[in-house]
Amino acid sequence: MSDAANQITLTIDGVEVSVAAGTTLLQAAEHAGVVVPHYCYHPGIPSRPAQCRMCLVEIEGQPKLQPSCVFPAGEGMVVHTTSEAAEKARQSVIEFLLLNHPLDCPICDAAGQCMLQDYAFETGQLRSRYAEAKMVLGRDRVADDILYFGDRCIVCTRCVRFMEDIAGDNALVVAQRGHKAYIDTFPGRDLDHAFRGNIVDVCPVGALVHEDFVFKARAWDMDAAPGICPGCSTGCNIEINVKENQVVRTKPRLNTEVNSYWMCDHGRRVLVMANRGVRAEAPMIRRAGELEPASWNEALAWVAEELGGSGGVAVASASVSNEALFYTRTLLNHLGIEGGTFEVEEGAEVTLAGFPKLKLRAERAPNATGAALHGYRRSEGLPEVVDGASLVVLGDALAEAPADYGANAGFFLYIGSHLPPAAGNATAILPAAAVPEMEGTFVNYEGRVQRFHRALRSPGVARPAWMFLSRLLEHLGEGTGVREIGDAFGVMAAGTEAMQGLTWGGLGLRGELLSEAGHPAVAAE
Amino acid sequence: MPGEVRIVERPESESSYVRAISKGLGITFKHFMRADKPTQQYPDEKWELGPRWRGTHRMAVHEDGRAKCVGCGLCPTVCPVNCIKLIPAEDENGERYAAVYEIDEFRCIFCGYCQEVCPVEAIHLGVHYENAEYSRERWVYDLARLCENDHPVTALWDPADPSSE
Repeated sequence: MSDAANQITLTIDGVEVSVAAGTTLLQAAEHAGVVVPHYCYHPGIPSRPAQCRMCLVEIEGQPKLQPSCVFPAGEGMVVHTTSEAAEKARQSVIEFLLLNHPLDCPICDAAGQCMLQDYAFETGQLRSRYAEAKMVLGRDRVADDILYFGDRCIVCTRCVRFMEDIAGDNALVVAQRGHKAYIDTFPGRDLDHAFRGNIVDVCPVGALVHEDFVFKARAWDMDAAPGICPGCSTGCNIEINVKENQVVRTKPRLNTEVNSYWMCDHGRRVLVMANRGVRAEAPMIRRAGELEPASWNEALAWVAEELGGSGGVAVASASVSNEALFYTRTLLNHLGIEGGTFEVEEGAEVTLAGFPKLKLRAERAPNATGAALHGYRRSEGLPEVVDGASLVVLGDALAEAPADYGANAGFFLYIGSHLPPAAGNATAILPAAAVPEMEGTFVNYEGRVQRFHRALRSPGVARPAWMFLSRLLEHLGEGTGVREIGDAFGVMAAGTEAMQGLTWGGLGLRGELLSEAGHPAVAAE
Repeated sequence: MPGEVRIVERPESESSYVRAISKGLGITFKHFMRADKPTQQYPDEKWELGPRWRGTHRMAVHEDGRAKCVGCGLCPTVCPVNCIKLIPAEDENGERYAAVYEIDEFRCIFCGYCQEVCPVEAIHLGVHYENAEYSRERWVYDLARLCENDHPVTALWDPADPSSE
């Protein structure tokens, strides 16, 4: 809480607000519910050159307009963001920015979420007064996977300053000066930073575009759902953009506790690539030696009947939700299977210099902490299956397994979204929804429990694993089946010591720390 | 309870069909003699359509035969009946183009919004009405078919009175 003595009261567009000393006018205006148009200012980038001149506001008693992104709020100030002088200045800035702009909105990937388009529309100047020929810069490739459309660029330098201030890599520079200025890589340098994709997100116009996304989808064609990046154990908060049930793009979603405004390029690719692979679409059970499809009711009843309690081994993936891990744990306890293992792929760690909490972590799975929490052991490779023993596989843990893995098991229960060759040995296959197709939670490296939402439809009759596992357990006489993720989470939180006191609704979009990690609100309960 | 049936005797002049037929044929023969015959000799003589007739689509093409469409996606967005399918892609010059462009003319209501919204004046309704096909599939016009069509394009509004006043 800020000290009352450090509070400043000022009036912005007739609204009186109190803000902490040192707050800029632009931020103070946000408190007053006024959005001051801006280009070069980005809340996540510390440097503020005040060069776009878009955020000029009129302050009573000041002879000239002032850039609100850097001008500190003062006691008793009276600020007008929409006065005649401010509007006129803004209109002139837009007119200058549009001088050489190609107005190619119909083919620009930013159309519909472009700040230049929005503000140009707002100022309402429908005709250009510029009669000369426009400058043509064409397109350039600033990185392996990022294209630069120089014509559209307004040289706000957000990308340059992201690389300098946040990534700590001066690979991008502004080349030339004045109206000839454009963005380029520094001579002899490549833009190959692991977090370079963020320059596309900070670009207020369509100048920087991911090559993967060029001409893929219009802004208004896509649906968006909040998710958690499954790329590593950081658990970046992301927005999943979906068109026709395919993930077309992932963007970072603000969570100051985890990833701020940023995410890495590895994470951007994971979900887009997950569109691929052979999916399990219907429950399959092995009758008379052949796997054949069955209805859910039939399959669950059959599995409950056939599953033996003779012990065995279990393998889980560290990329499935806590709820699935919890209900599988309950099933394993019922079957008398001890432990269970999970394997985590390791990669090189990369830190984002300007926000050191955010790393592309070596652990390339989103829920290794959750898997450990539910009693699975980290191990290298797959456990040996004793002839005739039970084998339970949860999630995509068999992608690299030899094709004959599990063939000698007495009962091989495969619960997963994709079908690797080894799944062909299963006694029963229960098709699970993949992570973007369901709601659930992950626990990240620091013990933060974070919710993800559903972005896609599942293929066939695949369902979230917690849903059918709870029904399978009901068949086996343990608990009752649950249909709502909130109930599943509640059952899990009640049955897991470190999650005591957590509620589905309480997690919200920011997540909560596990009680073991000493979160005060949770520890108090 | 059934009513009583009454049989009415009519005079010969009213009940004879000969008289009625000759009256009808009289009208027919009178039209044979007319100077301004309304009958159109259809396949030989074509109906003249107004300039604002809204018929099946055509796509404008560049001189080299490429479609003018840049794949911006505004026509499928504005289409009130979702009859346009568009998948944009990048060509060898890095330009955006329509890799797949199909219009389901069965579903189309010929409102003309696609023509009105097109930023490059590529898709047009046509002044055209002969649309008979042997199969339903042929009613989904693909890009090649739309480019082949060469009938006159529809004037969506009267140039002399653009705001229709």
